[in-house]
Amino acid sequence: MAGYSRRRLTFSGYGGLQAMKDDLEPKGRAAVSQTAADANVSTDVELSDDDILEAMRRIPGYLDITTADFRAVYELAHAQAIDRFLERLRAADLMRADIQPLSPDLQLIDAARRFVAQDLKSLPVVDADGRVLAMLTETDVLRALGARSLLALLLQDVDREATALKRILHRPVAELMTTPVVTVPEAAGFRTIVDAFRRHSGRTMPVVDGQLRLTGLLLRKDFLAACHLGDLP
Amino acid sequence: MSIPRYLSKMRGTTRGSPPRVSNAEVIWSWVGAALGMGAVAWLNQHFLTGSDFSLMMGSLGASAVLLYGAPRSPLAQPRNLVGGHLISALIGVTCWQWLHQDPWLAQALAVSTAIALMHLTKTLHPPGGATALIAVIGSEQVHASGYFFALIPAALSPLILLVVALLVNNIPNTRRYPEFWF
Repeated sequence: MAGYSRRRLTFSGYGGLQAMKDDLEPKGRAAVSQTAADANVSTDVELSDDDILEAMRRIPGYLDITTADFRAVYELAHAQAIDRFLERLRAADLMRADIQPLSPDLQLIDAARRFVAQDLKSLPVVDADGRVLAMLTETDVLRALGARSLLALLLQDVDREATALKRILHRPVAELMTTPVVTVPEAAGFRTIVDAFRRHSGRTMPVVDGQLRLTGLLLRKDFLAACHLGDLP
Repeated sequence: MSIPRYLSKMRGTTRGSPPRVSNAEVIWSWVGAALGMGAVAWLNQHFLTGSDFSLMMGSLGASAVLLYGAPRSPLAQPRNLVGGHLISALIGVTCWQWLHQDPWLAQALAVSTAIALMHLTKTLHPPGGATALIAVIGSEQVHASGYFFALIPAALSPLILLVVALLVNNIPNTRRYPEFWF
């Protein structure tokens, strides 16, 4: 029982995930593009003896179990539930695979056509080998027009905007796009994805293979839709 | 293992003991045990006499603690209650019949083997140890009854306690029995 006597309860399910992530992440990737896996957020939940005793107090009748045994059972059962939950969420399963990305030399007007055709607000920019270089979002275009949002644009002088718009229409994507880009590997699980979304304000994340080539696009709304926390005990 | 580590285990893992049960629980434990022990004592006086009766009632008193005092306990479930007494009695009788020339050895092996077999059959029930022992240390009358001892009183008595537990433990809203049958 030596291993059970610790006072802090941690989501040990994440431990296995971390190890798995370490296996999946080739070293030196950060030099090319920023990946999310190196973020290491501690997720400790402290289950005190008082918490357990209070729970026992609320259950009528004599419980033939010690506090330490309860902690051990809870910890293992909880880790198993977390594992099962996290197993279900893989970036490769949640991403949209049929994405037509942008190239750096594409003119903004052509890029805009791809945004509209795919009904997306951000698209990855890839090189000739399909490796992800950057993201281009609506916000990037607005910034090029000197506005922080569409509504800010409305408040600006209309004539001036029309001129600015014409000026940027034929500029290449490379001049407007955002780097570095935050990507996730295809095998990324719940925690890696959450960390990645936490690290940048975008709503969309490119999913890459081992050679950092684009394989799909993970939308925040798709990811959230897959998170049924109600399945947890 | 280091000596300090070994000694530190003796300090325990938790400050304070589990909470006390409510007064209603105390009353229902009392009612169940009074009825259960009353029934089983009345019944056993027809089969057992003298020290055999006293010894067997001791074992059943321990069962009553589990059955009416801790009905949620895995040790108090029907499988454990009846299985534990029955298997232990069989072991006790066997140990007496094979080893009665060395009573101390028969006693030691009766209890230890009963524990092992209750573990293996998932019927662990502490009073079973007493029942196994009674088959060895009981009177000539117990010894003479042979494996019949495993039926009466060893299997019949817990069945009586079980019936009372089913009737009484399911009356209050906050109690239910059993958690599982088999």
